Amino acid sequence: MSLLELRGIEKQFGGVTALRRGSLEVAAGEVHLLMGENGAGKSTLMKIVAGLIEPDGGEFLWRGQPQRFRRPADAAAVGIAMVHQESLLAPHLTVAENMFLGREDCAPMGWMKRRRMRERAARIIEEHRFPIQADARVERLSPAGRQLVEICRALVQGSSLLIFDEPTSSLSEAETKEVFRLVTSLRERGMGVIYITHRLEELRSVGDRVTVLRDGETVHSGALAKLTIAQLIRHMVGREVSSLYSRSPGTPGEEVLRVEELSNPPLLNDISFSIRAGEIVGLAGLVGAGRTELCRALFGIDPVRAGRVTVAGRELHGGSPRDAVRAGLVLIPEDRQHSGLARGLSIAQNVALANLPAVSRGGLVSKTSEMALAEKYKKKLAIRMDSPRQLAGRLSGGNQQKVVIAKWLARGARVFLFDEPTRGIDVGAKQEVFQIMDELAKGGAGVLMVSSELPELLQVPDRILVMRQGRLVGELPGKTTQEEIMRLAAFEKEPAA
Amino acid sequence: MSGKNLQRLLPLLTLTALFIALWIASPTFLTQRNLSAVIRQTAVINVMALGMTLIIITGGIDLSVGAILAMGGLFGTMAMERGDPIWIGVTIGVLTGAACGLLNGLLITRLKIAPFIVTLGTLGIFRGVTLIVSNGLPVHRLPAGFSVLGDGKLLGVPFVLWVLVACAVVVHVILEHTKLGRYTFAIGSNEEAARYAGVPVAFHTTAVYAIGGLLTGLAGMIEASRLMSGQPTAGQGYELQAIAAVVIGGGSLRGGEGSVPGTLIGAFIMGLLSNGADLLGISPYLQQAIIGAVIIVAVFVDEVRKRRMQSA
Repeated sequence: MSLLELRGIEKQFGGVTALRRGSLEVAAGEVHLLMGENGAGKSTLMKIVAGLIEPDGGEFLWRGQPQRFRRPADAAAVGIAMVHQESLLAPHLTVAENMFLGREDCAPMGWMKRRRMRERAARIIEEHRFPIQADARVERLSPAGRQLVEICRALVQGSSLLIFDEPTSSLSEAETKEVFRLVTSLRERGMGVIYITHRLEELRSVGDRVTVLRDGETVHSGALAKLTIAQLIRHMVGREVSSLYSRSPGTPGEEVLRVEELSNPPLLNDISFSIRAGEIVGLAGLVGAGRTELCRALFGIDPVRAGRVTVAGRELHGGSPRDAVRAGLVLIPEDRQHSGLARGLSIAQNVALANLPAVSRGGLVSKTSEMALAEKYKKKLAIRMDSPRQLAGRLSGGNQQKVVIAKWLARGARVFLFDEPTRGIDVGAKQEVFQIMDELAKGGAGVLMVSSELPELLQVPDRILVMRQGRLVGELPGKTTQEEIMRLAAFEKEPAA
Repeated sequence: MSGKNLQRLLPLLTLTALFIALWIASPTFLTQRNLSAVIRQTAVINVMALGMTLIIITGGIDLSVGAILAMGGLFGTMAMERGDPIWIGVTIGVLTGAACGLLNGLLITRLKIAPFIVTLGTLGIFRGVTLIVSNGLPVHRLPAGFSVLGDGKLLGVPFVLWVLVACAVVVHVILEHTKLGRYTFAIGSNEEAARYAGVPVAFHTTAVYAIGGLLTGLAGMIEASRLMSGQPTAGQGYELQAIAAVVIGGGSLRGGEGSVPGTLIGAFIMGLLSNGADLLGISPYLQQAIIGAVIIVAVFVDEVRKRRMQSA
């Protein structure tokens, strides 16, 4: 009998469908890989299994019995544990204290049996020969050590199903091997293991079966050994491509951005590329590949350990967004609500924010010029608003995006970095954002577009750079295929020529 | 001893150094009379700070304790003025404090408003209610026996010292040996992790504020006993002294850190500073500035220690 059986699981988040037909069957003593593109619904499905969120519909069977978890403790009570990507431990407590957190061994009145818990913790650590101490404070452990603590938590609770959410993305080579060794030993003890991963190559030896999700739907489930990588990629990508945009690239002009051997290990390693005036360059990669980190390093938010960045012939000093903006390189960040837009300020104030000298007289901001500036970009970018006095936070996602762009346009930037510019905005607004990028390029700017949406990457950019694990692993022409991008982004092997 | 351990012991060493310095500098310092006075003066802040330790470990704060102290003291003394026995008056004062703390905890966990804001609000509410009920007038007609709590002696030492030691032992045991204490640290260390581990976060957070209120109510009765009156304006600014004691003793306003011995040391450092300044004839104005500087230095030293530990 199966340990876990999910059929037709549905979940919506505020009108957005994360899962529509999520199915999964895991047996005791098997390692089950869960794969899919960014946003395919893997994490949502696992959060439902671990009781972190409740499904809207579908069947959930645990050892053949229907279950409904309202909180993580419910899932833990039947024997389901999750090793989180971002470790969910109390850093000020010790390893042993974290292992027993929430299920302390207690006498009446809440009096804890501290020694007994410590001894049991030490025994489990010893049994698996984990390189951690029961008395060590968790804040002193490496990311790998913290994951071991989460695994110990599951062991001490006698869990029979353990979920790993991309555990190796933050681990070194040696630590990754350690996790694999552990997964194998858990399987031998008859536990079920679900392993979310992008890195199939490494897991060939470990996994028994694989389930692939696409657009919130289970599209394939079966034995891993029978599946070729090409087949797997076909299952993973194949998303519907609705005709979003097509642009006619012009002839690229002079180089506006040159990046040479940029490094900030372990997040970014030895990255070199350039962008010419009039070009839109796509940047593809899976979550955690280092795309956002690259944008942040170029813009000067994160430090740069080595390498050179030149914008329109001027070398950046790194570590200073002010310097980047002066040179003409700007970032339209992914979470524009936090770092791109001052939600509590008006549209006019947002547009003027990076251009205060232009709208000031004698050190005082002129409301009239501020309004005039906003009106100008309202027309140019077709920002839908009642008045520039309106609060920027009240606008729709697409229009917020335009306000951020207007701010930098007014500043006369030459290089625009767009980090996931279409996340959370509707199809119509996406079209407009693409059109703005096109116009920026036609006007002589260079555009770098980070996106997780493969169809978008195929339609908008002139060429596509692909990152994997902090490295630039390849460049593809604009007219490539989703399969090619995924192959480069997810797998170790070079694409077939 | 390694440098790291030395830094951890710094509050205790500071206290010892201060003690020895005052012993040398002032002939009256090491007299039973003066030391008793120091204990009596610091007892109120000390008892309050014990509760504040729990609250700060959860990553919270309680700005309303000064007002709770006044309300507890007033309600307790009013009962005695009415003719209730002393033990009933004290119990009423303590329970009033617990009720105020419970309200703070419920507002914080049910309305999900930041503790700073909730207790800034209840600071005004509790003080206002106290002033309205008392009509702004102190309660004076109290049974003579009530003065034992604040000014009496037992086995040759001030009675309040026994009370303080009892409270400190209980809070220390709660923190180190019970589930409540473990969850107090866990909530302050990583609330999300605690919730995912199945810790009833709201319940334990509320409990911690209630305990803080209870201890503050007791501090209010000690204060009333020392003054032999229930003052509706008592305790103004005490919240900052209680917070300072916790912080000097190694508590972190970001949560997850703090201890009973640390807090006691912190409170006594402040107590000795002001006592020493009095003995040496240093102006009370300057005293405030000195204590302010000590707070900043203490926290800075602790931050340096933690940063080193993390980079080690």
